[in-house]
Amino acid sequence: MIRPRSVGFVAIVFTVVYAVAYVIAVWKNVPVFTYHPITGAIGLGVEKPQGGPAMYWFGWMSTAAIAASAACLVAALVPERVARRLGSAWAWVVPVCVLLFFAYLLRGYFLR
Amino acid sequence: MFIVLLIVHGLFAVALLGAITHQTASAWLPMQRHAGSFAGRFRGVSAAGYAKAIVVLYVCTAILGAIIYPEFRVSIRGVLDELDAPAVMGAFELKEHFAVVGLAVLPAYLYCWRLPLADEYRRTRMALTAVLAFITWWNFLVGHVVNNFRGYAA
Repeated sequence: MIRPRSVGFVAIVFTVVYAVAYVIAVWKNVPVFTYHPITGAIGLGVEKPQGGPAMYWFGWMSTAAIAASAACLVAALVPERVARRLGSAWAWVVPVCVLLFFAYLLRGYFLR
Repeated sequence: MFIVLLIVHGLFAVALLGAITHQTASAWLPMQRHAGSFAGRFRGVSAAGYAKAIVVLYVCTAILGAIIYPEFRVSIRGVLDELDAPAVMGAFELKEHFAVVGLAVLPAYLYCWRLPLADEYRRTRMALTAVLAFITWWNFLVGHVVNNFRGYAA
């Protein structure tokens, strides 16, 4: 049984790891799968476009979900005294940094 | 069908926008006394009561957005490329990534707004609410601009 305090720790770990894993998945293009909306086909990993655009967005989200879920499983096992050391501020500092990094990553659209 | 889903997506976004704006105003500028003015009543709501509704609205809006996104990529993105509007496309690319970051924030956000409100999470609660409000406003405005851009360009 997870105690209430640990639920908060796991929630913060999920937020931090999901945000970081997602930005890495986008930056390095590591989707779990590629979706081809024209044909409706789904292929594992990165695939080139097939007769239309290839969508990696769903795959990037899945990559982040797998990483965050794994981190949450580990976090649920972390002792209470260790969990208390993680400040809750990470839950917003990391997402804000990720938002800023995305703005930097996509700056080319605005600086043409 | 795409148009129907787009409109429902927009309606969920409007409801989410109202809820998150109320909550942000209430969290950052709480009323100390009974509110008499419109602005006072706007920020005088019980912010904690909005949290679960905001999570449900955010998830529903995101799911609807994900359903219509492939149609956007296939039919509409090409039109925007032809109109040579890189800033609009860039804003939309940011929208899709910001939406995912918002999803990531939801578990911590919901925990921080859990009743009874823990004072140790007050700053985190305020910051997470502001982050979600920023993402919601950005995505709403960009969605509108992209949706109407062909009309603007014409």
